[in-house]
Amino acid sequence: MEASRSNSEIPNLNPSPRRNPIPIPSASLRWPTIDGPLGLSEEESVSYARRFYKFGFALLPWLWALNCFYFWPVLRHSRSFPRIHHYVLRSAVGFTVFTALLLSWALTFAIGGEHLFGHVWDQLVMYNLADTLGLTGWS
Amino acid sequence: MAQNPRPTTVLESLGEELIRIITPVSVCMLLVVLLVTVLIDDASSSSETVTSIATIAYDETVSDSSWDKFVGALLNSLVFVVVVTVVTFVLVLLFYLRCTRFLKIYMGFSSFVVLGFMGGEIALFLIQDFNVPVDSITFVLVLFNFAVVGVLAVFMSKMAIFVTQGYLVVIGMLVAYWFTLLPEWTTWVLLVAMALYDLAAVLLPVGPLRLLVELAISRDEEIPALVNEARPVTPHDSQGAVGERRVWRDRRNENSSIGNENPNSNSNLGEFGNVDNDSSLVRAEEGRIPDRDQELSAPLLEHVANVQPRRQEDVVASESLLLEGIGLGSSGSIKLGLGDFIFYSVLVGRAAMYDFMTVYACYLAIIGGLGVTLILLAVYQKALPALPVSIMLGVLFYVLTRLLLEVFVVQCSLNLIMF
Repeated sequence: MEASRSNSEIPNLNPSPRRNPIPIPSASLRWPTIDGPLGLSEEESVSYARRFYKFGFALLPWLWALNCFYFWPVLRHSRSFPRIHHYVLRSAVGFTVFTALLLSWALTFAIGGEHLFGHVWDQLVMYNLADTLGLTGWS
Repeated sequence: MAQNPRPTTVLESLGEELIRIITPVSVCMLLVVLLVTVLIDDASSSSETVTSIATIAYDETVSDSSWDKFVGALLNSLVFVVVVTVVTFVLVLLFYLRCTRFLKIYMGFSSFVVLGFMGGEIALFLIQDFNVPVDSITFVLVLFNFAVVGVLAVFMSKMAIFVTQGYLVVIGMLVAYWFTLLPEWTTWVLLVAMALYDLAAVLLPVGPLRLLVELAISRDEEIPALVNEARPVTPHDSQGAVGERRVWRDRRNENSSIGNENPNSNSNLGEFGNVDNDSSLVRAEEGRIPDRDQELSAPLLEHVANVQPRRQEDVVASESLLLEGIGLGSSGSIKLGLGDFIFYSVLVGRAAMYDFMTVYACYLAIIGGLGVTLILLAVYQKALPALPVSIMLGVLFYVLTRLLLEVFVVQCSLNLIMF
């Protein structure tokens, strides 16, 4: 019992089960998703990565971001999963580009304010628009 | 070296599982309390009531007497419980007729509405309160992203467990916030009524939820349900066990693919199974009625590292899949339904409208009630309603705090004795 006790101590020091369980350093990573053994297998991952990548083109950069988040081990160890890496990398690039554009527009709008846009600012800003359209009057 | 090291102790693995089920509940409650304190300034704003099915019988005004309010609240709750019962029976019927696809689409649609419209309105409230200079294009784009990805994450495809759990918590939070907008007496009586309904629906042999579960068992299918399943504590032993789990999952896949193609079935087992379910989102006119999401549960399993016996237990266990309340998922992790999240958060949110003292008291009551329910789950080995114990304790603590504790604390503070 002592032996089994001490054996069980060692895996106890492992991090949370979210990580990949890799006891043997020479073995390649088996789990391409961030959930590790609870996530997808490699074959399924390819189809999921491809699907997320394609759906992201419908103005869904958040989906691209989640794609990268979900397949984070692929980004880190790009050699092991060439097919998945192809899609995840493009998702990351797409997300970055989209966010940069959106952020620049939003910041210009917010900081520029009235003296940059003039009259249009009042019409575009959200809280005025909500009042005009009566969106918050749910009663 | 030859033997499989077991997970360290039952206490540790059990503790970790408990934490994994209590954390999302607590986060949801915290978010609702924050929303309530930020958005609702004073008691006078509660005089505007939302026209919804929960206030269809009686609209509470500040000037009525207590007895009138109480009777009105009873009527409201009765109507609401009746509606929920009817919708649940409709759900059972649809499930019986194998309209799973329709159910899934409906649940996806209602989640989209909750995330998109309710989430959007709450975001608008926040924007107006803080005068955030967001323009409409950005706002619409972000909201659209959020809602669509939410529906994808919860229903349609597998995504990171963290993301799915997060979205469930957000859905629960949004629905709970809308419930807190109901008049006060109605909310409290409604909570008690739903707790009683929960008790009846799960435990009575004629209860709709019990029927649903027995149907699912007899067909060996998964019930569509909005369920928060705690991430299972993976045994720390070798890949052998993990491989076993995958084989188990695949086998279950074959079973449940008979009769209905259910792309969620493989997601239900090891981890975050949120299959859709009812959500009696009954919308009346412009009034919003938050969902009453049903819960899915499976009986408690012994969380053992030994996979062989576990597989048998899983088969046996999945036979008593009961719907509402709390139970253990087929992988051995605890499942708690989204409706439980919502009503716990409603209770705490309502308590937050009075004072923070009641919030602390009610939070402790709810967590204690949840613990009691889990113990009962371990004893009885079948799915149990998670609402009654917690809600009753919560309401009791709220009343006691308001009547007794507050006076005590205030007097102590005023006289500089304590606090």
